Amino acid sequence: MITPAGLAQALLFGVANGCIYILLATGLNLIFGVMKLVNFAHGQLLMVGAFVAYEVTTVVGLNPYVSILVSMCSVALIGMVLEKFAFRKIRGTDKLNEIFISLGLIYVFQYSATLLWENSYTIRIPSPLVGLSVPLGGVALGYDLILAMLIVVVILVGLLFLTKKTKIGLAMRATSQKSDAAMLMGININRVYLFTFAVGAALAGAAGAIYGILFPFNPAMGALPTIKAFAIIILGGLGSIPGAVIGGLLYGIAENATAYLTNGTWQNAVAFALLIAVLIIRPTGLFGEKGE
Amino acid sequence: MDFKAALATFVKSFRLRKFQFAIAALAFMAVLPLFVRSEYLIGQVFTVMIIFALYASSWNLLAYSGQGSLGHAAFLGIGGFASALLATKLGFPPIAGLFVGGLMSAGIGFLVGLACVRLKAWFLAMVTFGFAVISETIVSQFDDIFGGTIGFATPSIVPRGVPFFYATLAITTLSIATIFLVMKSKWGLAFKAIHENELEAKMIGINTAKYRLLAFVISTFFAGVAGCLLTESQLFISTDIFKIDNSFLPLIMAVIGGLGTLEGPIIGAVIIESIEKFAYVTYPILQPLNPLFPGVTNVGPPLTFVGLGIFLIVVVIFLPKGITSLLHKLYDYLREGEPPKKGEEK
Repeated sequence: MITPAGLAQALLFGVANGCIYILLATGLNLIFGVMKLVNFAHGQLLMVGAFVAYEVTTVVGLNPYVSILVSMCSVALIGMVLEKFAFRKIRGTDKLNEIFISLGLIYVFQYSATLLWENSYTIRIPSPLVGLSVPLGGVALGYDLILAMLIVVVILVGLLFLTKKTKIGLAMRATSQKSDAAMLMGININRVYLFTFAVGAALAGAAGAIYGILFPFNPAMGALPTIKAFAIIILGGLGSIPGAVIGGLLYGIAENATAYLTNGTWQNAVAFALLIAVLIIRPTGLFGEKGE
Repeated sequence: MDFKAALATFVKSFRLRKFQFAIAALAFMAVLPLFVRSEYLIGQVFTVMIIFALYASSWNLLAYSGQGSLGHAAFLGIGGFASALLATKLGFPPIAGLFVGGLMSAGIGFLVGLACVRLKAWFLAMVTFGFAVISETIVSQFDDIFGGTIGFATPSIVPRGVPFFYATLAITTLSIATIFLVMKSKWGLAFKAIHENELEAKMIGINTAKYRLLAFVISTFFAGVAGCLLTESQLFISTDIFKIDNSFLPLIMAVIGGLGTLEGPIIGAVIIESIEKFAYVTYPILQPLNPLFPGVTNVGPPLTFVGLGIFLIVVVIFLPKGITSLLHKLYDYLREGEPPKKGEEK
């Protein structure tokens, strides 16, 4: 049954998905823009973020929205370890090595999570606001979703401030333009890379916590969102944060609309077909200035 | 096309140590069924190991040209489904199905490759990954044609067990020899040049698009052949063949064994398949760890995969040329003092 209200509800789910995609894609975009590094294990950081938030909420008893902060900090730390001990070692070698390392990380994270949380198959972070919603003519706009959108906006504004107004942000922008020249200007590239990766990971952590509040999740949740986030940064244009925001929203909505119209089976296939079509027709993305 | 020179290299290689090793390995595999009587070991472990050696070699050829695929399972599945459907619906003999399956896979690989020729490594990885998801969806959605959701049994011409083991060994040897010839030919040189630096390769007059496409087609052909063999070895096929692990495993095998070498993917396939099939031996030792992780009934399988991931990372960081380079060093160490023979390859 396809009804206008149902479609509107699907679009709303799309916005919720979009929020997560925006954070994930922005983090990836930041890491790619500054470090020219592709981390296919980014979705695993999302998964870790969700589980950290879950543990903090259920075991420590913090408010789920406070646990987002805890999750961001811990995932940022994990990100720093990954950068320092894995990705830094292969910097400057074959580009394929990044894919290999990320693949190894996917296995490590996913199966470690299976070890730790297998029994919690498809769990959800208990939010005090669950079930509460603003009725909008047959469509329920959950308070959780409103809060999630607000948080995403706050995080994005914070990120904008960080990159545009602070000294480390300036260093990040300089490094992203030309790392050699930035190094000659006295910028400690290693520190910039470490910081960038930590920020990108923190965004994934936040995305994971929000995911856990809005949707049920399990240890295998990370794989598809990573690829989708990549699709989004390609759609939105590499290195373009507004592109990632618009792309994330569009992608989330398009995906959920397709899922609603085709009973969910074609959701991923359509999404990837869209991505492949964009890559073939416009390799620089819809909003991208110039391709890598 | 310089197959003559490649053939000359091939003939010359008869004198090479490497070639003698290959013959020794082949001879070892050939006499294996005389000593191993277990139906399971021959049919499910060693046969599958050989098939994965071919599958990883096909992936390796693609990586040899600088293109990393994260969705090779799509081609494995296309080959498998093509041969299985031809055999069940049209009554094709599986041997013919092998080639048709490979050609089908290569044909679709050509189209995917055509879409990807301009793409950088990571975009290509994503497109191929996406393509695997799309193929799986298409096959499971048109179930009345493919019948893949539940799966179906496939007929066999070669009896299971030892005869099929030998058939697989023969086909794989031929295929890997072909891959070797391609790698040593002018095409292989072009692939290597593109891998090193695509821009420079273009500047010295290599038609990079053509050669990248060529690598794609050859690689997907053999992936398709491997898919047919895998289907034949299980006498069964379902959409399970498209699973993500099937896309990642050839990569892990090739990288751990030694990327861009002939023996790398084979050694990698042996190592990874052995780990997968014999990891259960360690489960009793890991038993004391079970209380630490109340969520799982057996810590063995997840720990195996965690170990596999760490293994891959460690190899990429510390042994960029894979286990093969370690074996070369070991060999040199054992032969220390003897002067290297003329023409011997290191």
